[in-house]
Amino acid sequence: MNVEDLLAEAMERQVSHVQAPPTLGRTVRSRHRAHVIRFRVAGAALVTAAVAVAVPVALGTGRTAPAPAASSPTSGQDTAVVDSVTMPDVTGMKTADAVAAVRAAGLGLEGPEPSGTADEIVVTQKPAAGTELARNSLVVLRSMPRAKDPQDLGDLGDGRTFGGIHIGYLPEGLAWDRWSGKNGFGRKSYATSFSPGGDGTKGYGVEVVVYEGEAVRHVRSRMGTVPSVEIGERRGYLGNLTDGGEVIEEPREDTTATIGFLLRDDLAVEVYISPMYVKKVDAPAELKKIAEGIEAAE
Amino acid sequence: MTDEDEAAFDEFLAARSTSLMRTAILVCGATSHDAEDLVQHALEKVYRHWPRIRSDNPEAYARRIVVNAAISKARRRRLIQEITFARPPETAAPSPDLDLRDALFEELRRLPPRMRAVLVLRYWEDQSEAATAALLGCSPGTVKSQAARGLARIRERMNVTEGAMP
Repeated sequence: MNVEDLLAEAMERQVSHVQAPPTLGRTVRSRHRAHVIRFRVAGAALVTAAVAVAVPVALGTGRTAPAPAASSPTSGQDTAVVDSVTMPDVTGMKTADAVAAVRAAGLGLEGPEPSGTADEIVVTQKPAAGTELARNSLVVLRSMPRAKDPQDLGDLGDGRTFGGIHIGYLPEGLAWDRWSGKNGFGRKSYATSFSPGGDGTKGYGVEVVVYEGEAVRHVRSRMGTVPSVEIGERRGYLGNLTDGGEVIEEPREDTTATIGFLLRDDLAVEVYISPMYVKKVDAPAELKKIAEGIEAAE
Repeated sequence: MTDEDEAAFDEFLAARSTSLMRTAILVCGATSHDAEDLVQHALEKVYRHWPRIRSDNPEAYARRIVVNAAISKARRRRLIQEITFARPPETAAPSPDLDLRDALFEELRRLPPRMRAVLVLRYWEDQSEAATAALLGCSPGTVKSQAARGLARIRERMNVTEGAMP
C-alpha cells in the first residue's frame, strides 16, 4: 500500500464517525432568517439616518422640498416603459471589481456570486459588453485564478530558459503559462509549466522541474526504482508516477507521466505530462523528445 | 423559495453535509463542533442563493466555501498555537505507541494548512489536480508541488520515526 492510500485510510479513520446532525437544515434556515433580519435592520437604520439628515437640510434652507415627479406618464397613452441599461465590459477585471461594476450598472448576477479571492479575474461574461438589457436582469460571470505576475521566478519570456537549463523542444501548441515556483519540490528546486495556448487555467500540459545541489538526491533516489530509459547519451527513468513516487504501469487520473535524468552531478531535471494532456499525446515519446532537447544553459 | 426548492435543498443537505463536515475537520483540524459551525455558515450562503444555483453544481460552491474557511481557521489556530507554545514545528515526533495510521494523521496535522488541504482534497476526496486547483484558487502546478512536498515531508518524518523506534 502506498503512502497516499495509507494517508487516505488514516483520514477516513479520523472522521468516519462524524455525521451531520439531523437538525442541520433547521439551523441553516434559522441562521438565514437571522441574516435577513440583520440586513433589514441595517436597511432601516440607513433610512432613518437618511431622513435624519434630509429633514434638517430641508428645514434649514427655508424652502420646501421639491414636489415628487409625476408618478405616471402624462401623455394619456398606454405606454410600456422599459428601463434599459448597458452591460459593462468586465472581463479581465478582478472578481470583486467586476461584481461591483455589474451591480452599479443596475444588473444582478445569475448563479453563485464568485467568491472572489484577490487573485481571481473574470474570464467570461454573458451577455457581451454593450448589450442592452432591462434593469435588474441577471448576467453570468465566470472567474478563474489569475497567474500572479511576477511569479516566483519572474518573467521568464518564453519560459524555456530557467533554473540553469534551456528547453529546446516542446510539443506543438504548448506555450509558457506564466506559472513558476521556487523550492516547491525541495530546496533548491525551480519549476514552470507550459499549457495549450499558454492558458494554464484548464490545467498544465507539461511541467519541468529543475533540482539543484542537495535536491538532486530526489532524482537520484528514483534512478533505481523507476524503469530506466536512454535519453541520447544519458540514462534516466521514465514511468507513470503517483505524487508519492509509486510506479504504475498504465496512466491513471492520479498518475503523472514522468521522465527524470541528471544533467550534471549537481543538476537534475524531471519533466511531467499532466493526466489531462497525456490523453492527447504519445506521452513517452514526447517526454523523451523534451528530455533530449534539454541542456544546461550557458 | 418554492416548496420544490426547499425539498431539493433538504435532499442536498442529506447527501452532502456529512461529507462537508468531514472535509472541514480534516482541513482545519477542528472539533466536530467547530466544523459544524463552519459548515452551517457555508450552507447558509448556499441556501441564500439556492434557487439560482441548485442546477449549477451547488456542491462545488459549498465545498469551496468550506475549504477556504477551514484553511483560514487552521491558520488562526496555528498562529495561536505557535504563540502559546512557542514550539518549533519540526520538533515533537509522534508518540511511538500510536499505530502507523494515527502517526500519519498526526504528521498531516502538522503540515501548513494549504498543503494539508491539498492532501485532503487529492487523496481523501479523490479530486483531480485541476479540480483541487479550482477549489483552492491556485494553479495545478502549485497543487502538484504541494502534494509532492506534503507526501515527501510525511514520508521523511515517518522514516525518521520508524528508524528511531526499537
